[in-house]
Amino acid sequence: MRPIPALVLIAPAASIAMPCFAAEYLSIPQAQTALFKEADKFVEATITLTDAQRDAIKKLSGQRQREKTQKVWRAMRGTELLGWFIVDEVVGKHEFITYATGISVDGHVRGIEVLVYRETYGYQIADAQWRDKFHNKTLNDAFKLDEDIPNITGATLSCRNVTNGVKRLLALHKLVLAIG
Amino acid sequence: MSRDLQRRMRPLLGTFVEVGVQFADDAACAIEAAFHEIEAIHSLMSFQDPASELSRLNRSSGEWINLSHATLRVLRLATALGKKTNERFNCTVGGALIEKGLLPTHGGNFIAWGSSSDIQLATSHARLHRPVRVVLDGIAKGFAIDMAVRVLRRHGVRSGWINAGGDARAFGETQLALHRRDECGNTRFVGYLRNAAIATSNTFANSAHDTFGQIVSTNAKELRPEVISVVSSSAWRADALTKVAASLRRDDRERVLLSLGGRWVDAVSEKRAA
Repeated sequence: MRPIPALVLIAPAASIAMPCFAAEYLSIPQAQTALFKEADKFVEATITLTDAQRDAIKKLSGQRQREKTQKVWRAMRGTELLGWFIVDEVVGKHEFITYATGISVDGHVRGIEVLVYRETYGYQIADAQWRDKFHNKTLNDAFKLDEDIPNITGATLSCRNVTNGVKRLLALHKLVLAIG
Repeated sequence: MSRDLQRRMRPLLGTFVEVGVQFADDAACAIEAAFHEIEAIHSLMSFQDPASELSRLNRSSGEWINLSHATLRVLRLATALGKKTNERFNCTVGGALIEKGLLPTHGGNFIAWGSSSDIQLATSHARLHRPVRVVLDGIAKGFAIDMAVRVLRRHGVRSGWINAGGDARAFGETQLALHRRDECGNTRFVGYLRNAAIATSNTFANSAHDTFGQIVSTNAKELRPEVISVVSSSAWRADALTKVAASLRRDDRERVLLSLGGRWVDAVSEKRAA
């Protein structure tokens, strides 16, 4: 059997509390390209929904359309409409998750990409017993905060909010975008 | 030092899956292939999906079922570990999880749990000797991570990581600063993950819907509520060993897990409280 690894016990680069952490994965232009590789242009087409439309979306998808406006772009290849690129936000445990989805002209989801994932957590090395576990040498080094790649293990979030959001956007597509 | 880092996150496996690469030539292509691999394995082994290969096996009535190499490999790993641990790792507890409302029922009669002997494996087929419900959650997720890492490497990625809903594996030069979350949502830094995998499961009886990796006990004794993390060289093994760890007394964990290729991550504060 291979040697069994252990966690590397050196103190983290930042020893301050970091209440909210945001991981940015893609910018909007990057996400547009990722979801519509063949597109050569994205035309902004933000929509403003009436109360009646929002009610209809709720009825069709079972999800409440909280915002009156939705950021939408038409993905074009020349004069051909490839589909719609939509940016949306849902609440994770405590923070917003910004994501994008591409919906084809016939109402299929081409893909879902997280743009910004926000978490609430902090470094907790307050007690002496914990500090003793770690070698102190790195605390004196001039480490930049973003040298760490923070990751969470344990009790992580269900993606239900995003998949429900996409359900809502599919209803929005059917009721508003496809007939517009 | 330039980190030359690219990462993406997508909703997958009912949670968020992050794929990161460092020092890679065609990062986007490699990342796409890794997500594709995770999706493919999930669709084969999902208990939730009635159309998955696993569901076909669970619906079968003792006849031989043709299965893919990937599913058979995971079944082999699961049953071997079951035999080696006297069924402390038990992939036939699906029935008990259905009864607790933690998994969907896809119809048919079933027993709450059996043992690895209830699953017979051949080169390209498997069959069940009794109507158990095989569940591969918690080993399949780790396996998907391992296979996706393999895909990244095949695409020339030298360093990177995958975090699938809290089960993570880092390879090459990548060092992940790990924060372990407890049931209240508080996080504590536990160390850096380097060329290793970590899996974390919990034994809370009433987990909220947004927690994962719940372990159930197959004997009458209730499990004491705790968060259990295991480090190993592969993600499937780290995953599976969290279940083994949960069934062991704390004093036995370190020794037994080491004999099975895993290292239990024991929080200092837990030691203080015990």
